[in-house]
Amino acid sequence: MNEIAIRTEKLTRRFGPLTAVDSVDLRVNAGQFFGFLGPNGAGKSTTIKMLTGLLAPTSGRMELLGLDFQRSPIEVKRQIGVVPEGMGLFERLTGVEYLHFVGRMYGLDRATSEKRTAELLDFMQLADREKTLIADYSHGMQKKLALAAAVIHGPRILFLDEPFEGVDALAAGALKSLLGRMAERGVTIFLTSHVLEIVERLCSHVGIIHQGRLVAQGSLEELRAGIPGEEGEKKTLEQIFLSIVGQSGSEQSRLEELTWLT
Amino acid sequence: MADVIQLPGVVEQLKLIAGLRWNLLKNNLQRKNNRWDLIGMILAGVTSAVLVIGIAIAFYAGTYAFLSRNRPGWMALLFWAMFFWWQLVPILVAGFGANFEFRNLLRFPLSLRAFYILGLGYGFADFAAASSLCWIAAMLVAVATARIQLLPVMLVVSVLFILVNVTLERVIGSWLERIFANRRARELLVGIFVLSMVSMNFLNPALQRWGNTGTRPKILELLPYLSWLPGSLAGTALASAAAENSQAMLAACAGLLLWVAATSGLLWQRYRRQYLGEELSESAAPAATRRAVRKQVFSSAAPGLLPPPVAGVMRKEFHYLTRNGFSFITLILPPVMVMFFSMQFAGVNAQLKGHGMSPQTFFPAVMAYLILILLSPAYNSFAFEGPGIQSYFMAPVRMRDVLVGKNLFLVSVVAVELAISLSVLVWRLGFPGLPLLLSTIAAAAFAVSGQLTIANWSALSFPKKMEIGKLKGQRNSGVAVWTAFGVQILIGGIATIVLLAGRWLGNPWLPMVVFAGLTAAALGGYVASLDPLSNLAEQKKELLIETLCR
Repeated sequence: MNEIAIRTEKLTRRFGPLTAVDSVDLRVNAGQFFGFLGPNGAGKSTTIKMLTGLLAPTSGRMELLGLDFQRSPIEVKRQIGVVPEGMGLFERLTGVEYLHFVGRMYGLDRATSEKRTAELLDFMQLADREKTLIADYSHGMQKKLALAAAVIHGPRILFLDEPFEGVDALAAGALKSLLGRMAERGVTIFLTSHVLEIVERLCSHVGIIHQGRLVAQGSLEELRAGIPGEEGEKKTLEQIFLSIVGQSGSEQSRLEELTWLT
Repeated sequence: MADVIQLPGVVEQLKLIAGLRWNLLKNNLQRKNNRWDLIGMILAGVTSAVLVIGIAIAFYAGTYAFLSRNRPGWMALLFWAMFFWWQLVPILVAGFGANFEFRNLLRFPLSLRAFYILGLGYGFADFAAASSLCWIAAMLVAVATARIQLLPVMLVVSVLFILVNVTLERVIGSWLERIFANRRARELLVGIFVLSMVSMNFLNPALQRWGNTGTRPKILELLPYLSWLPGSLAGTALASAAAENSQAMLAACAGLLLWVAATSGLLWQRYRRQYLGEELSESAAPAATRRAVRKQVFSSAAPGLLPPPVAGVMRKEFHYLTRNGFSFITLILPPVMVMFFSMQFAGVNAQLKGHGMSPQTFFPAVMAYLILILLSPAYNSFAFEGPGIQSYFMAPVRMRDVLVGKNLFLVSVVAVELAISLSVLVWRLGFPGLPLLLSTIAAAAFAVSGQLTIANWSALSFPKKMEIGKLKGQRNSGVAVWTAFGVQILIGGIATIVLLAGRWLGNPWLPMVVFAGLTAAALGGYVASLDPLSNLAEQKKELLIETLCR
């Protein structure tokens, strides 16, 4: 499958003097499970916000499924689902009302919207909270609901900003299975996570952003091959990540300064 | 093992917390980078100081007058006034003012005793307590000037009265914190508070009607039953000392002492519970049961007539209205206010005789007032969206659909409200005649349609976040308020000219025809504005998201 799902060219976003995302050229093929990694403040969320229409780029181009985002935003948005940073929920609706609202916003007819709402709530184990306001949900429940809202219209690209944060192990397992099945069916999944083990287990391809610049991109094997080490040694994603953006040497020296603690 | 060898003493902890409060205040001003906040605080400080000093003079004068004219029993009035101030102002501040959760200090290694003393320290540091202490000082000076022999008793009474008030205020504050931790209770209390404020408007009509028919004597009969309360006890102690009745004076002081013991005990119990980790969270743990969702029947307000996004937004607005106690009350308010105005200014039973209005003026005036109230939320229509605002920008819709959904819902609400209010007016004042009724309705249609375009622009350009169930900071941005004010004056001016022109020309149907034309023009402008406003929303989306998701 060679169709390109996400392509950016020199995507840049500045906030005053700060360049949060600096000339990023991304290539994500359709059906890829793509992990977008970076330290805190590296520009991950800013990139996702631009790719989902929540933030306008300062310069550069974005193409999703061959469509120019700036020219056809409505067409693009119809094809994507998003779990943004902060989840974007209407907290004074119940789970049922919110999913039905999102379904209608994506143009689903009433019957389809109701059917999918019921099925998704059941899958996410939120069915018994149908009359509870989202404001009264726990963080993990809100996360599951946000994911349900992101997939209710059957998107072709799914953007997930920290989807497993605050979700219990049981639900996380179910979510991983769901995402895996979606990827198998050709849905492109673009996720950010600080839990590198999850990214390593789920994602076939990875992009690493550091100080606003895309410093590495490719399959896990390609990234491993680019890291120096002993022959035959299989490096973990954490090792790859640290060797690209980490500063393990300076961290060690800083640790040694904390004599009263270490 | 941790390196904390010796915990800081209570005095040191008080100093640390005073420093913390100062840093919070300083950083807050720096973060906002807003010198207006500082100027506002200085002005508020000066105003408060003038208020406190002015009232202190009044307390001095009152005490001096009561004692020098041999009416020491009236001192109870001063203590009662102070008691109400001390207990009620912190409750209002809890709703409207800055919020610093005292119990957060429990994360530090404090003993229960230190926690209690810090709590009392907080009690002495708030505005109500500080001002009351100034007034008690003024009373002490007055006692020393008027009848110095009463000073020792006044000193004892003052100390006991201060202790009762500060401990009681902390107990009430602690209970309020517990109640406000629950969202539903918080919203209910806000609703009750607003309703009680509105109800005060009816005090005057009620007193006019029933005030002289035995209500006052009945209230006076209740006064002796209040003699065991702190205000009365403090007054009695002083009056008894003045009458050289030491037995009664000691009894009153013992009563105050009992109050101190009771409120201190209650406060100790409350703080002990907090200290032991009282759970205030209202969010229950998720139940992991799985069952099929009961299929919910969705009955749309406009099934099939509207595009799905518009219908979806209308339904969402409906749910938000039903869950926003404050907005809900603003819906009850118009008919209630119509009733109030009709009792005061018009009709056969008008309270302000000689200053009444004719129905020809009263009908349009009341409608204008109602539109003023009902349309003002449109100038900040995204206020309650919170993080949900992102949904509008993530979904494949243009902002015009969202605005149309919101506006249609508001127009429906306004129409229902005006219909109810008109019915109340007709009931109270009688039928005003068909030309005036239709002109008023047409003027209302013009006022609503004429404002929506500007209101939408204001909502996109000057958003201000609001939270359901909170009173603090729940107001539109200054620019939005002035915009609404300007537009409403303009529309009110046009409407007045048209109505007066109808009267001068002797043509009662003219206003209706003119208003119908104006409404059509305003609606045309509204439709034409939707696409430019969608583009504006795209330009302003970062501002909207940043402001509302904060």
